[in-house]
Amino acid sequence: MDLGEHRVLFVAVTGILALLVASPVLSRLLVLPRTEFFTELWILGPNHTTEDYPFNISSNHDYSVFLGIGNHLGHCAYYVVEVKFRNQTQSAPNSFNRTPSSLPALYNITAFVADEGVWEMPLTFSLDYEYNETLLQYEFHSLTVNDVELNMKNYTVALDGNNNGFFGNLFFELWVYSETVGNFQYHERFLNLLLNMIH
Amino acid sequence: MVKCGLKLLFVLILMFWIVNGSLCVFAVDESEANARTAIADAEVVVSDCYGAVLDAEKAGANVTELLSVLNEAGMLLSSANLAYETGDFNSTVYFATQSILMLHGFVAEAGISRETAIQQRYWDFMINVVASIVGTLVVICGGFGVWFFLKKKYERAGSVV
Repeated sequence: MDLGEHRVLFVAVTGILALLVASPVLSRLLVLPRTEFFTELWILGPNHTTEDYPFNISSNHDYSVFLGIGNHLGHCAYYVVEVKFRNQTQSAPNSFNRTPSSLPALYNITAFVADEGVWEMPLTFSLDYEYNETLLQYEFHSLTVNDVELNMKNYTVALDGNNNGFFGNLFFELWVYSETVGNFQYHERFLNLLLNMIH
Repeated sequence: MVKCGLKLLFVLILMFWIVNGSLCVFAVDESEANARTAIADAEVVVSDCYGAVLDAEKAGANVTELLSVLNEAGMLLSSANLAYETGDFNSTVYFATQSILMLHGFVAEAGISRETAIQQRYWDFMINVVASIVGTLVVICGGFGVWFFLKKKYERAGSVV
């Protein structure tokens, strides 16, 4: 028997065995580092799809959507979603300047989401409003979100002559708690539901 | 005499009204101040607990259960804030207190998770990194050793023949 003939086989077996034993270390070394840290924010329609979003709204009728957050920040995060309502003349969040709306929040939703985790909440809302025939505008009394009634006095929506509708925006701004600052900071994300008030 | 009596009665009614009114104002202020303090306390507790969860997570602990407790406490804090906005200060104090009570012992629990994770991480490092590197070196060195042993044995056997 010539030992030289089995040299390659011997080296191969030793190499494979070494790779098997080294695999726990290699699995740690050969992982690409995460470079993108961000948060997803979404709204889905009542069927949990990106369809059938509420648009034409009647007073005191219930409408359903799903609000979701996906955390890819590399650590668990403490979020607050500020629910706000505006008519077309009021302050809106700005995607270019990355600023939130200056309007006060009607409601705050708190969410703690694990890293690479997803948080989702069904939201059922209704608006209580009436038409003021003198001022030709809708005047709001309250917004009810998940059975919580929120005061909306002084909120109005006037006729948009160009688009022939009474439009208002129910929007959701995402804020995240910063450990370094010790306070919430606007996370530069918002979602907007355009609503047309009808009789 | 009657005039003097009426004046006295008027002064007494006025004094009663002023004292009673000011007491009511103080009562409202105190209630609102209590509500504000309760919310501030709850916010500090929630933030501290979140910090503890972050530390535990950095140490490699599974924080899913801790986060679900924090989520419930956060919802209570939201309810407290909402009650405060509507001027319902009793509910504000109630929800804020419930939030604080829910997080009683939370930081200690997160600390235990953190310590456990640190220990697990140590053993994980020892087994998966140190043992793996040592094992690889042993396999390579052992392979060479066995090769040279077999080679010597083979050469010796060949020279005998």
